[in-house]
Amino acid sequence: MLVLGIETSTPQASVAIGSEQGVIASAMVSRGASYNEFLLPAIRFCLDEAGLDYRNLGGVAVSLGPGLFTGMRVGVATAKALAQALSVPICGMPSLDLVAYEVRYSSKTICVALDARRGEVFTAFYRPSPGGIQRMSPYGIEKPEQLAIGLGSRIEDVLLVGNGALLYREEFEDLGSVVELGTMSHAFPHADALVELTVPRMFREDFDSLYDLKPMYLRHSAKRIEWERIRGSRSA
Amino acid sequence: MPRTLWTTPEAVVLERRIGDWDEDVLVLAIETSCDETSAAVVKGGREILSNVIVSQVDLHGEYGGIVPEIASRAHVEALTPAIGEALRGSDLTFWDIDAIAATLGPGLIGSLLVGVAEAKSIAAVLQVPFVGVNHLEGHLYSNLLDDHNAEFPAVALIISGGHTMLVHVKGHGNYEVMGGTIDDAAGEAFDKVARFLGLDYPGGPEIDRLSLLGDPTAIGFPRALMFEGDFDVSYSGLKTAVINYVRRAEARGEIVSIEDIAASFQQAVVDVQVAKTIAATKAAGVHRVFLCGGVAANSGLRQGLAEACQKDGFSLHVPPMELCTDNAAMIGACGTAMLRRGKTSGLNASPDPNLPLV
Ligand SMILES: [Zn+2]
Repeated sequence: MLVLGIETSTPQASVAIGSEQGVIASAMVSRGASYNEFLLPAIRFCLDEAGLDYRNLGGVAVSLGPGLFTGMRVGVATAKALAQALSVPICGMPSLDLVAYEVRYSSKTICVALDARRGEVFTAFYRPSPGGIQRMSPYGIEKPEQLAIGLGSRIEDVLLVGNGALLYREEFEDLGSVVELGTMSHAFPHADALVELTVPRMFREDFDSLYDLKPMYLRHSAKRIEWERIRGSRSA
Repeated sequence: MPRTLWTTPEAVVLERRIGDWDEDVLVLAIETSCDETSAAVVKGGREILSNVIVSQVDLHGEYGGIVPEIASRAHVEALTPAIGEALRGSDLTFWDIDAIAATLGPGLIGSLLVGVAEAKSIAAVLQVPFVGVNHLEGHLYSNLLDDHNAEFPAVALIISGGHTMLVHVKGHGNYEVMGGTIDDAAGEAFDKVARFLGLDYPGGPEIDRLSLLGDPTAIGFPRALMFEGDFDVSYSGLKTAVINYVRRAEARGEIVSIEDIAASFQQAVVDVQVAKTIAATKAAGVHRVFLCGGVAANSGLRQGLAEACQKDGFSLHVPPMELCTDNAAMIGACGTAMLRRGKTSGLNASPDPNLPLV
């Protein structure tokens, strides 16, 4: 089964096409073109280079974030429309899982921290498990200094990865050798991992509902936060 | 070869005739420029096979206005079902469609992006042209959809929460903006005054309802720019005049009639807008007036313009309500006309929140 993966939740956008035999074509861009200008030409490139056509695709996978609002929206909207027009199943995956999956060969606890802007990071904890990873915490959003306190209080060694970890590295360097900081090559979620993780779901027919699938925001719109603050202070 | 392991979805016939855009051309259209999620199928540019409109009014009501981030989130959720419903409603499948049209601007960037991304994706899969449509040009075509006596040339008053402009529509793709608001759109003025008066969102229909119970001559609100020689209007001063009137009355301890305020405010808008529209129509030398946009629902404006047009011998065309508010059918009609002129967009096209009409 050929699966098209779309990942646009961070400034590093990527698309990939693969099957149970692995990824056969992918394209990635870290800066320059906006998601909206990049996606369809990039998919066309992958299809052409692999000698394929849209009609060869058996499923669409999409990263649901958390991440940058605009990227997630364009990615999820594109994936939904492709799946709808092709009449193929769709599967959504959290961006944080994708980053953890790429460092699954570590024996340590994995903590992913992606830059959420406004001085915060999206986080989740994982442990390696046979053939993949297992999530040990809910998906969260917190300030890097709070995450550092949480990491400092853990008894086991932690591998900390993601662009949020690198952006606020000085918060975590004081924690010493208990926390190992990942490198730039594992700092972003990637469509390759998305395809690898989704192919088994497609075979299990563990699909998401096309009409109900939406990005994972983890944060209300600024207006709603403001509104709840005002309402909260009035009712108090 | 490992190729055999790849499962291929049901083969579909791709060969289709592209080029001669005949009477039966089928366009799937998408409109997500503001707070309505809409998908439609239009045949031959004038026949609506389906027109699905999902309103977000309930989502924005508690904030008293449109919240862009909430609007874009809602479009992501509502658009896919709306497209499915539009196809079901027209008894067609994706593979019957000849082209995809979507609003490229003007509008809220986060909202536009969702519609453009989905439209381009569908066009890529179906290998049919994608047409990026100007939302305002779409409004001009709303008049042609339902009324077969409506033809270009005409002078069109596009009046909504986001826009207020007078356009000399000389022909397809040939427009001259004659004038517009120099500050607030008319619908925006209605909403702001309504909010000040404590009326429910959206405020326009509420003011219209109350004004039927009040005296439109009770308060002499200003008619800004009404007697200037050009076709521009201004509503920010009128809004301030309403606020000052109420504050002054309250300071004096007087009881104000909200019905009279609504009626007098609405009459001021209608007087200015009707005068400018008639003057523009005379200046353009045409005999047809198109009224379009959400505020075209206003009963005072409809009546005032109808009377004035009759007096001057102009024919007035007002589309039914579901075509006055933002909808995808008008985008499909406009997109069809653009296809016939060979105006298509690439799959890397991006929305433009400030896209001008000309
Ligand atoms: Zn509009």
